[in-house]
Amino acid sequence: MPVYVDISRCIGCRSCEVACQRVHEGRGHVNVHYAGDHAAVPVFCHHCQEAMCAKACYTSALYKDGERTAFAVDKCTGCGLCRLACPFGVVWTDKLAHKCDLCSPRETPTCILTCPANALTTDYESASRRARARAAMMVAHGGRR
Amino acid sequence: MIKVDPALCIGCLACSNVCPSKNIVRDDTIEKRTISWKKCGEECDLCVEFCPARVLTLVAESEETAIAFELVACRICGTRYATEPMLRRIEASLPEALQKDSSGLAWIWVCPVCRRNIEAERATREMVLGRSRSVMGDRDR
Repeated sequence: MPVYVDISRCIGCRSCEVACQRVHEGRGHVNVHYAGDHAAVPVFCHHCQEAMCAKACYTSALYKDGERTAFAVDKCTGCGLCRLACPFGVVWTDKLAHKCDLCSPRETPTCILTCPANALTTDYESASRRARARAAMMVAHGGRR
Repeated sequence: MIKVDPALCIGCLACSNVCPSKNIVRDDTIEKRTISWKKCGEECDLCVEFCPARVLTLVAESEETAIAFELVACRICGTRYATEPMLRRIEASLPEALQKDSSGLAWIWVCPVCRRNIEAERATREMVLGRSRSVMGDRDR
């Protein structure tokens, strides 16, 4: 259950960044990017099904735990291969690797609880429901081009 | 004493990170990473055990060794971000189909900062496209 983002709701306040840093002792795993005046996009770990960071890790410090790509810090040697294997640039290494752990063992990731714009969710259903609702609105308002 | 095979070392610093007695020293500059293996008399083989490339061995007698790696420049921003053997290792360990993103970009040769920027731009394009469609829809009404 990765964190899904509804970018059209993101207001670019960076609360998720701050919340993430707060629970991870100052080392955050979210980066809010700004695309000119158009949009703000929080960039997160996707918890990929075929996680390349886990493939690159030779000590199994990074591994798939259900849908989550989990990290066992005691096995990490800080080699940095995971950082280079992540296609989205969301694994960091300074001495040891760190990445989004979905705030385990908390029930809900802190970024989701903090987001004032309700742009973040772990619920794939609600994320896709919103997208479907928007698509339906478009059709009702004259259809797609 | 530690013996290194310089032809196979990937320059990742795992050995330096796990060494309890600071006998493996790193020196990073903007363009170059130098790793020196000092003469080490400890009875410990952590570096040997944790080397991802398995290039370290313990021998009775050896000299201090140093290897310098030129860091690879990001194809987009030019920042030097990794040693070439590390990127080659990633390239060899991933299926070829996954080494290019949807726009055909060989992302392994792009630094993590630019990878995040590209991801943000991609998501924005998708969203702005959706937004312009709904604006068009409103206008037609």
